[in-house]
Amino acid sequence: MSAPLPLIDVRGVSVAYGGKAMALSNIGLTVPERGIVALLGANGAGKTTLIRAVSGLLKHHHGHLTGGEISLSGTRIDGMAANRIVRLGLGQAPEGRLVFKHLTVEENLEVGASVLPRSATKERLDVVYELFPKLLERRTQQAGLMSGGEQQMLALGRALASKPKILLIDELSLGLAPLIVRAIYAQLVKVRDSLGTSMLIVEQNARLALDIADHAYVLERGQIMLSGTAAELKASDRVRELYLGAATPAVAGGRA
Amino acid sequence: MTVAQHPVIARGAVLAAGQRSIPWLRIALSILALAVLLYLPFVLQSRVLFGTRLTNMQLLNIGLAQVNLTLIAVVGALSLNFLTGCAGLVSIGHAAFFALGAMGASFAGSQLGLPFLVTLIIAALVGALAGVLAGLPSLRVRGLYFVLSTLAVHFIAAYLFSEFQYAFHDVAGVTMPDAQIGGFELSNGIRWYFFLLPIAFLAYVLFRNTLRFREGRALLAMRDNELAAAAAGIDVRILRLKAFAFSSAIAGIVGALQAYYLTTVSAEFYSLNLAIQFIAMIIIGGMGSLSGSVLGAVVWLLLPALIGGLATELKGSDLALARIIVEHKPQVVNLVFGSLVAILLIYAPDGLAGGWRRIKAWLANRPTGGAS
Repeated sequence: MSAPLPLIDVRGVSVAYGGKAMALSNIGLTVPERGIVALLGANGAGKTTLIRAVSGLLKHHHGHLTGGEISLSGTRIDGMAANRIVRLGLGQAPEGRLVFKHLTVEENLEVGASVLPRSATKERLDVVYELFPKLLERRTQQAGLMSGGEQQMLALGRALASKPKILLIDELSLGLAPLIVRAIYAQLVKVRDSLGTSMLIVEQNARLALDIADHAYVLERGQIMLSGTAAELKASDRVRELYLGAATPAVAGGRA
Repeated sequence: MTVAQHPVIARGAVLAAGQRSIPWLRIALSILALAVLLYLPFVLQSRVLFGTRLTNMQLLNIGLAQVNLTLIAVVGALSLNFLTGCAGLVSIGHAAFFALGAMGASFAGSQLGLPFLVTLIIAALVGALAGVLAGLPSLRVRGLYFVLSTLAVHFIAAYLFSEFQYAFHDVAGVTMPDAQIGGFELSNGIRWYFFLLPIAFLAYVLFRNTLRFREGRALLAMRDNELAAAAAGIDVRILRLKAFAFSSAIAGIVGALQAYYLTTVSAEFYSLNLAIQFIAMIIIGGMGSLSGSVLGAVVWLLLPALIGGLATELKGSDLALARIIVEHKPQVVNLVFGSLVAILLIYAPDGLAGGWRRIKAWLANRPTGGAS
């Protein structure tokens, strides 16, 4: 089933940091409209690098594309500044829930909505508050004083406030209790279903990622080793062995 | 309606609730403050309060000239705090914009013969232009390296000012034309006071509103986390240059006002020490706090007068402490400021404004039902 035009199209992308070895080589990936795509892989496999390449934040980490192209709804975005890519409809919740600690919850969301026309801000904030009622409760609280889970919701809410076509989410579960993580993901699936927002997510917990994603890609040492629908990957021996901790070590023939 | 609580000046729902429930108190206090501010220059001029003659010490040894210079410094501290406290760009080159503003105003006034108010606008334009140039390194370098680039800006401006001074004036310094608005000359302290007071007030409101609106909000976001700001769609490079231009435009006006008020300024006046004094003001008052900028400037300019007055008062006293104060007045002033900065850094890192905020929050939250 090939969609007419993928929302995100990554073709043959290679990335290097500084003058060092390749962090990514020849990556190909697509995110369809209304799709949730997960990136799996061990630490250092290049998941975050791929997210940075798409979001335009690579430059802030002294990395650059050495080949390939990335487009968003048909527009080339590789080499574009992150803030311009946001305006094209790509929302991001970067790794480490980077909320604006000294601003209140509402001010954080207003900054997120600042790419929209002024008149649309209020309406958009209401949408975000409806999705995350906790944020409405904490509206006037300083963001830095909230719990980790609430800050993560705020980071997602801020990204959603820009009314994105696609949301990039990096390591949402980092340092959060599993129950909270599940609840946030459940909410994100609702966001996709109600608003039609596509998502590209990086998640350490492969089981969780494959539960909510439609498609997934497995990265290893900067290359895509496997890809397919979530169901296919769940059934794959390699994924079961390496990422799902399957209880079938007897048939593990992959690695010595 | 959104509750547009200022993120920096008055944080915390406790204070906001308190202010909303008793607006009459606020209104009354504002009227009282206005009345005091309107009556103040006449008291300082005549040294008489409601018909009672005041001694020097009852006036805290403060004269109208010091108050006027304080009003100018308030605007300068606001502009530096906007740049350093709110945008997160530490600059030790702020005196450069004072110098360039004074130079621009002097050239526009004396060489081009433009009227006083127009020269102030020219000073702002010169300041803004210099600010954009000074801000350019901020696009490439961060932290200490950026601070060093502002140091370079300081010395370049100091050099330009001295060249200007010797080209058009003499060793004594750049002599400013008379400050005249229409036919009305700012010829005495009282007139200056009533010219400077609204300017300081306007500057405060201007900065406060800027921080409340989209761009200012973005500025505070950028200070908190640059990466997240970029990820939220903010063009941090342009924003930084805008912040620099705005801050320096106001600093340019401050420089011009300073020069007009002092009538003559020389290159030596724009020392690194002047820039550092303004940094001290915003540290004492509170980084990132506009009301703190005002407090800091007031303390910095009026406390030395107070200590000076104390020294005069104590003359002839036999107490050892009194003699130390009398004989080593400048050192005592330095000692007091040094101690003040040290104490604030330990107990109230967010300055006088932050300390005051915490005292108010503490009073409001007292378990023994005080103010609520």
